[in-house]
Amino acid sequence: MAVAVLTELSALENTLGLPRSNKFSALAGERPVPVLQTNDGPRLVGLATIASHLVKQARKEQLLGASSEERAAVQQWLEYRVTRIDGRPSREEADGVLRELSAYLQDRVYLAGNRLTLADILAYHGLHPLMVALPVHEKERYVNVSRWFSHVQQYPGVKQHLPAIVFLKNRLYARGP
Amino acid sequence: MAAGTLYTYPENWRAFKALIAAQYSGAQITVHSVPPHFQFGQTNKTPEFLKKFPVGKVPAFEGADGFCVFESNAIAYYVANEDLRGNTVAAAAQVLQWVSFADSEILPPASTWVFPTLGIMQYNKQATEHAKEEVKRVLVILDAHLKTRTFLVGERVTLADIAVVCSLLWLYKQVLEPAFRQPYGNVTRWFVTCVNQPQFQSVLGDFKLCEKMAQFDAKKFAETQPKKETSKKEKTPKEMKKEEKKQEKKKEEEGPNEELDECEQVLAAEPKSKDPYAHLPKSSFIMDEFKRKYSNEDTLTVALPYFWEHFDKEGWSIWYAEYRFPKELTQTFMSCNLITGMFQRLDKLRKTAFASVILSGTNNDSIISGVWVFRGQELAFTLCEDWQIDYESYTWRKLDVDSEECKTLVKEYFLWEGDFKNLGKPFNQGKIFK
Ligand SMILES: N[C@@H](CCC(=O)N[C@@H](CS)C(=O)NCC(=O)O)C(=O)O
Repeated sequence: MAVAVLTELSALENTLGLPRSNKFSALAGERPVPVLQTNDGPRLVGLATIASHLVKQARKEQLLGASSEERAAVQQWLEYRVTRIDGRPSREEADGVLRELSAYLQDRVYLAGNRLTLADILAYHGLHPLMVALPVHEKERYVNVSRWFSHVQQYPGVKQHLPAIVFLKNRLYARGP
Repeated sequence: MAAGTLYTYPENWRAFKALIAAQYSGAQITVHSVPPHFQFGQTNKTPEFLKKFPVGKVPAFEGADGFCVFESNAIAYYVANEDLRGNTVAAAAQVLQWVSFADSEILPPASTWVFPTLGIMQYNKQATEHAKEEVKRVLVILDAHLKTRTFLVGERVTLADIAVVCSLLWLYKQVLEPAFRQPYGNVTRWFVTCVNQPQFQSVLGDFKLCEKMAQFDAKKFAETQPKKETSKKEKTPKEMKKEEKKQEKKKEEEGPNEELDECEQVLAAEPKSKDPYAHLPKSSFIMDEFKRKYSNEDTLTVALPYFWEHFDKEGWSIWYAEYRFPKELTQTFMSCNLITGMFQRLDKLRKTAFASVILSGTNNDSIISGVWVFRGQELAFTLCEDWQIDYESYTWRKLDVDSEECKTLVKEYFLWEGDFKNLGKPFNQGKIFK
């Protein structure tokens, strides 16, 4: 697990086009927490904090949201990622997450605002293990998550080391439109 | 990359397709939609125009290299890029499929339903009801397609999305009220996402979805429609021409070609208001709030500190302007008229600009100068042809917001007090654009 979150941060550096100059480490514990010692500043702790910092380092602030509402929404989904998606959720918890997300994404293309943000990127990474394991009919049940996921994974640079997941665009189990 | 001139009448949704495509590709397009460059109904009927564009319709595109192309979809294709056209033959075929779908399936019922609500076509209950059913049919098709897809073809915006969105613009603006569009949530999600992409926004402005289904506008229709019964001599030459044209057309074809008149009358319909700054990120600097402070409170102790505390140099810029022809300002009153006239022409900018313009010196030895605050980093003058004259009459210099010079200029011009070292002439009088 410790490896996973550090791999994710290096992947994010790649996605953002940053040189790999940051040194990450992890606080050991039940759930490993990433740490970044900045050059001249404080020690940053936690995925959401470090990821936001990297985005600023890369001068891609638009990934944190374009307006104050969007910025708040991005932070909300980063928190959601850490509190709800991470930490080996049980089957039931995972279903709950997918149900919530599918309802939320019914009338949205992105988690915050009308463009890809850090919220989408981190949620994508966090959900990947879950989606890999999802059988076809489940992907179809959570159709809005699937649509969102297959959109986010094709963004240049977002997928990184993760394998692409296949989604069917034609629905097999639904009757009529 | 394509570059050239697009001829059209203003606010033509067919032209939007090319303009949005150009936002994605970076093609440089100059729009000629108003006199002196272009007058719809006249310019496009001149022999010179017809030589380049034999159909005489707009939009029409003339490349900087002389390449000419008409038909809005062809123009959009030409100014697009690979991603928009579809990266594989299969993707390109699907793009073409949806572009054609927009023209053949969406447009006819959309026009039949929407045009009467704009008062530009007679209402016919049966035709409208039939059109509504047809619109539902295409929305069902789109909804099913978009249920599992973010965009129409592939995972990014293509000409398919641009063409289909543009063909739905009037429907979503005029008649697709919330209850009617409710069953087609996937279409609305996709539509809203598209029109909120910065590339769409900079062409369309802020798009507002219909709140209440518009009905036939009988009054407007009566006003804009030359009555068949009116005798010839009461008609304006333009109306006569139109009637003649109609009759000629009728002879040529089986049915009346309604599109001709619709186009001209869409022109008569109110232009949509659009925000030329829609593509900029929201700014924390609220101009209205500053203006209230400036008008109602002490400039030195309240308005100026407020200004510097809240000014957002990413979202706004500060400029220094000086009148280029000071020798012509022989009388003070002329200068004042000059400034007032400029303010009047720039009226539309009041929400997004502020200025203090001052006259210094006296008769025969005066100078006009000002400090301007504009939304964005560019001068606003290119947004409207009327403003060209004011732009050309001044020299404009962008100030470095963090410089001492800028701080001093802002202070002196907002206060109308100080040394005005930049001018070397004493303050005479000032005017505020707010
Ligand atoms: N299919 C053409 C239609 C163009 C068209 O109908 N243009 C109208 C204006 S909406 C026009 O220029 N009419 C002038 C005329 O027929 O004299 C396109 O999409 O470009």
